[in-house]
Amino acid sequence: MQAGLLDTYRRPAGTRQPVAWALSGLLALAYLLPYFGPIPKLGLRVDVFQEAASALHLGSKWTLYGLLYTLAMLVGGAYFLRRHGRNSPYQRVRTTTVVAVQVVLAFALPLVMKVFRAQEYYFSYFWPLKIEYFYPSLILQQPFLILAWSFLGSLVAFPLLAYFLGKRFYCSWICGCGGLANTAGEPFRHLASKSSTAWRIERVSVHSVLVVAVVTTGIVWVNWAVGKQHPAFAAFAFQVQNWYGLVVGAMLSGVLGVGLYPLMGTRVWCRFFCPMAALLGLIQKLGRFRITVKSDMCIACGNCSTYCEMGIDVRLYAMANRSFTRAACVGCGLCAQVCPRGVLKLENRPDRFKGGTPIRVYAVDS
Amino acid sequence: MRYVILGNGICGTEAALALRGRDPEAPIALVSTEHDHLFSRPALMYLFAGQLSLRDSEPYDHGLYPRMRLDRVRGRVISLDAAGKALCLEDGRAVNYDRLLLAVGSRARPAPWPGSEGPGVHSFVTLKDLNALDQAAKPGMRAVVIGGGLIGVEVAEILRQRGLSVSFLIRESWYFPLALDSRESALVAEHMQTHGVDVRLGAAVEGVVRDDRDQVCGVRASGEVVPCDLVAVCIGVVPQTAFLQGSGVALSTAGAIEVDDALRTTLPGVWAAGDCANVTWHDGSRRPEQLWYTARDQGRLVARSMSGDPVTYRRGAWYNSAKFFDLEWTTAGWVPALVTAEGVPLDPRPEVRFWFQRQPGQPVSQRIVCQGDRVVGFNMLGSRWNHEPLLEWIQERRSLDHVLRRLHEAQFDEEFWPRFSVRPEARVTAAGEA
Repeated sequence: MQAGLLDTYRRPAGTRQPVAWALSGLLALAYLLPYFGPIPKLGLRVDVFQEAASALHLGSKWTLYGLLYTLAMLVGGAYFLRRHGRNSPYQRVRTTTVVAVQVVLAFALPLVMKVFRAQEYYFSYFWPLKIEYFYPSLILQQPFLILAWSFLGSLVAFPLLAYFLGKRFYCSWICGCGGLANTAGEPFRHLASKSSTAWRIERVSVHSVLVVAVVTTGIVWVNWAVGKQHPAFAAFAFQVQNWYGLVVGAMLSGVLGVGLYPLMGTRVWCRFFCPMAALLGLIQKLGRFRITVKSDMCIACGNCSTYCEMGIDVRLYAMANRSFTRAACVGCGLCAQVCPRGVLKLENRPDRFKGGTPIRVYAVDS
Repeated sequence: MRYVILGNGICGTEAALALRGRDPEAPIALVSTEHDHLFSRPALMYLFAGQLSLRDSEPYDHGLYPRMRLDRVRGRVISLDAAGKALCLEDGRAVNYDRLLLAVGSRARPAPWPGSEGPGVHSFVTLKDLNALDQAAKPGMRAVVIGGGLIGVEVAEILRQRGLSVSFLIRESWYFPLALDSRESALVAEHMQTHGVDVRLGAAVEGVVRDDRDQVCGVRASGEVVPCDLVAVCIGVVPQTAFLQGSGVALSTAGAIEVDDALRTTLPGVWAAGDCANVTWHDGSRRPEQLWYTARDQGRLVARSMSGDPVTYRRGAWYNSAKFFDLEWTTAGWVPALVTAEGVPLDPRPEVRFWFQRQPGQPVSQRIVCQGDRVVGFNMLGSRWNHEPLLEWIQERRSLDHVLRRLHEAQFDEEFWPRFSVRPEARVTAAGEA
């Protein structure tokens, strides 16, 4: 058995009981506070996060937010490694990497840049996830090296890496959203819906957000080119940019994405909304990454499907002896790890043993 | 044509789905007592541990039955009326069939020892067994697990995990001699001991000891009483065929339903498949195949037979896998037992040799069985292997050298695992020396 997964169904917080709903509300609130500051309607007259940040001499409330986020990943990362690290070098390397990227690239480096009065920059985030990194206003402020990092990352390195390694290189090894899900979110990973309805919704919603992200970027660029001559368009572009930030940036990735951890699992944002996950997923579908299924060894126990945070019903592929690549798969590797018969393997290379004649012939016509 | 399938386990369900695929119109009914839906019986231990919910262990969505227009009858069948072509249910109902599949599976082999009747003695095969054990097993209790097979080690694992102390009584002189040699068995026993299991080899059970309130207080084995609060008996399964006595369906002496190559029983219009069917093995012997994948394959094949195809069931090459606590085990091809259940050494064939190596200090080993120069079987412990290439090399009659050169290709461990390599201390031994 997977020592860390025992009692999953005996924990009230992990089984959608009242305490889970309360926790979900608290997490959502924790995201509403920094994003929206004072919310008089809810009785919050002060910007709690900003006050707390000032009291701690952290300056900006976003530094406090980053600090809390990084601490959650450090503590969650230790928890994850205790659960899954002992028997799994993959989980050890992956978790150490994603936590280190958060600490260094997403927390320490931007902080240092701020201290030196430079424009802070998050080197582990790229367009379209960090949509403003392709906005002309931001591009024009950046030194050449950061520009090169951003453009080569989004347009060259990422498609290539996703083609050869699958989107996991980003979603499970670098990205902070996935990092939080795979560390602090670990006790909730089994809550992602495996229904085919959820899959249908996911395909529509995640690709819609990608389209919206591309269109928004386009509108912002057009505005940059012609906005001065067309004030009406400039106002419209400003609105679009604002709404994207509010709906996608604050609500979907933060308030809902993390707030729903205790009710719908940890990858609500990644699965239903993240434009980067959508884009990399499309490349993954065409690329080399796959989950190889060992034929006729599955006992249909359901551990793989249950512990898939992206809601993929892995067992159906395993039962059908079908190696597969799903656009959604972030390659966390848990399905392979919890399989008690070692049926699944994450791979990037062509499969020598597929496509030949089946070895086990159990039926012959007489 | 009305099809009735008795048993909604993997065999019965696969048969029903295959029948529906071949005949979109025919009425198909599934009769069952245990649960309304197919669930994974090998997942029982995960249900006990709280790692899975019962719903998680059901492979198909609940819309499957209406979508495939499979009728379900919930009830216990008490007899088969061959003349009237009907199953008689405990509540007096009758289910009429034109063609009947008996996919009734098996139940735990009852404990044969004095004192084993009554409360406190458990088995671990059905959902009912699961509930009973779940109710009874409390942290701090002492448990005795009897039976040196694959279910015994699973039960020992889940009881340890719940915080019981566990004594594992194994009749044989080493654990699982049917599949492991003495070195592999020692490795597994060591691993079980590091998980806190008190492994007792050569323990021939003589009886369950009860106090004056009829509560279990120990198990007498090889003259010694092992004190305990509950007993789990995991000594195999037997076909669930008592209700067929006198029906005209021929049963083997062990109670399995005799079938021909097309999985037909001795009664016209009645087929049998899965755990309860007596089929012919590779070596010509006749016994049931109590495996998940063979139940599924037989279910699919029997559907073809029932709808009129001329088919022949042929047992494919043997392979299996299991897990002893954290140790994964893969076997493929012919790996001969080296000692009988009674402890008598067996010498397979003079030309049989074993290539063996163990990672020093690690519970990881590989054993390759050779006949002459030809590789015929694999027994791999502690890491993951793909049985497909292993079987391919056996089928291609490859030599040991060839296989050792390419063995890393069959390694199925996750990325970042050390790659398989031949160690200098690897040795080839004859059966008697192993």
